[in-house]
Amino acid sequence: MKPMKSLSQEKAEFLRVLAGRIVPETANLDAAGMGRFFGLIDEALLERPPSVRRQFGTYLGLLRWAPLARFGSPFEKLSVERQDAVLRWFESCPVGLLRAGFWGLKVLIFMGYYGPSETNAVVGYAPERDGRAGLHAGA
Amino acid sequence: MQEREYDIVIIGSGAGGGAAAKELAPLCADGVKIAVLEMGAKLKEEEYTGREVEMSRRLYIDSGGTLTKDRAMTLAYGRAYGGSTVVYTGTSLTMPEEVVERWNVPGLEYEDLHRRSVKYLEENNVHLLPEDELNDNNRLFLKGCTKLGYHVEQFPINTKGCLSSSLCNLGCPNQAKQGTHRVQLPQAEAEGVEVITNCRVTRIEDRVCETVVTDPGFGEPSPWAPGEYRVKAKVVVVCAGGAVNSAALLLRSGFGERLPNLGRYITLHPALILVGEHDRPITNFYGHPKSYYCDEFWKSDAFLLETCMYFPFVTAKNLIGFGAEHSELMRAFPRLQMILVLALDPAIADNRVTVDSAGEPVVDYTLTEGVLDTLHASMLASTRVFFAAGAKRVHAPAATNFFIDAADAGRIDELIPRSNVLPGKISITSAHLMGGCRMGRDPGDSVTDGWGRVHGTPWLYVADSSLFPQCSEINPYVTVMGLADRVAEGIRTNAGELLA
Repeated sequence: MKPMKSLSQEKAEFLRVLAGRIVPETANLDAAGMGRFFGLIDEALLERPPSVRRQFGTYLGLLRWAPLARFGSPFEKLSVERQDAVLRWFESCPVGLLRAGFWGLKVLIFMGYYGPSETNAVVGYAPERDGRAGLHAGA
Repeated sequence: MQEREYDIVIIGSGAGGGAAAKELAPLCADGVKIAVLEMGAKLKEEEYTGREVEMSRRLYIDSGGTLTKDRAMTLAYGRAYGGSTVVYTGTSLTMPEEVVERWNVPGLEYEDLHRRSVKYLEENNVHLLPEDELNDNNRLFLKGCTKLGYHVEQFPINTKGCLSSSLCNLGCPNQAKQGTHRVQLPQAEAEGVEVITNCRVTRIEDRVCETVVTDPGFGEPSPWAPGEYRVKAKVVVVCAGGAVNSAALLLRSGFGERLPNLGRYITLHPALILVGEHDRPITNFYGHPKSYYCDEFWKSDAFLLETCMYFPFVTAKNLIGFGAEHSELMRAFPRLQMILVLALDPAIADNRVTVDSAGEPVVDYTLTEGVLDTLHASMLASTRVFFAAGAKRVHAPAATNFFIDAADAGRIDELIPRSNVLPGKISITSAHLMGGCRMGRDPGDSVTDGWGRVHGTPWLYVADSSLFPQCSEINPYVTVMGLADRVAEGIRTNAGELLA
């Protein structure tokens, strides 16, 4: 994996673990797909102010280590059921900023996976500059 | 630092700046020098690729994901030759009389604004699409609303030569949408107005605009080489950078000290994107994405429902949850019907644009309990529309389960509790940014007068959606053009005095 400019290698590896739970298909990405995935996220983070990048890095740390208090292990050592439970807790947690942080994490992972046009076929999306034939295909 | 001098400098080239430029352009024949300073690029036709992330980066500020201060909403607004008119869907409505009356701006009469708005409807080739050009996504919305007895109208749109790409929000690859980049700016340039792209205004001081020209690496090169410029406006500066940027620019320039309402009373039409899944493929990503709206709940519950169709990434981020269920719904993309909700939010002084220590805009906006109630009510209504249209299941962001099956359509109220409408969890967006330089009587209640002239600064005008004292309660671009038309007339009327 090409190193990210916006995140340390350790954080990038953890982001990969999270991506596997948020978009399971990321586990099947080949090297080029993974390169696009991290490349887009890297570019998006680099567009943001350094303070936002720091906050995101801190949030990843929180997600990784918060389960230690509840389950005695960091996130990546938990069963997938417990990993999902942790993520669901953050998604609905009573603190608005933590909910928003989780939403931001999801957005980055969704962008990395669904953003590249190579994923269009996976979801059945086939945009055309001239869509008239497609519009009337079923007529 | 290089220097340039004009008589009139217009900041921004979207609905407001483009309309103002075209209306003032005839002055060029009398030797008046006019420049439009636009922070975005003028894309080459082949650069409209329709690729989601690429186009978002080229055409939107922050790729369309500007966060509010509390991180509970994202804001999408354009930066390009043509501003946000490059990335809207071209839906063209004139503001209802009762909204103009609610605005209660001294000197702004409904008849005057309506007359000007109608002029732009004609200029922009606004028309209704024929029925055979509407896709299933739109037809199903009509079917669902009609079955429920909800009032629906067809959107007039401003296209010419539409090829049904459905890529409006990524910049039309066929140049069919008649935004200012296709109509008003080329006309203004033909009459002598200069449009300087990739040019960001950082500060205005005594009719001098401090600007920075950059090379973003795409689009036509700016007429000016990269660098810093001081652009003198001998007569008038017109701010038309949009609600966030106009307010932020004036705040950066120190106008906030004597204009206590500068930046305040921002409204956003907070929006939700909702999806219903049908049991068969429907035409959804071919054809114009936005053909109908439902105003059944406009007066009773303060929201509008509109048809919409977004792209995979935007769709994914607007769904709640993650994992297998989320992926399953994404793979149903060709079977998805989509509805956009617009909440008609109140103008509140504390919802405002500020600037941070670096002078960058910060949108400090809090979703009120009333707006959250509205969003909840809109989710219930949309879910009913989906089921009435025949959807087999619906994804409502505040529902207790990821999917609501058609068999449970009778339990919608129970399955979508108000308590689940949590900002930060549910994806709430805005593409209608309004207010911040509101029109009114005096500095005690506003920033400009009813003709867009900034109180106490006769050489400074505002001509964009930041003028709105409250939200427009409709898609706003035609109203922006109508107001910019008034601003331009005010400048022309005073031209003799101003140019003397």
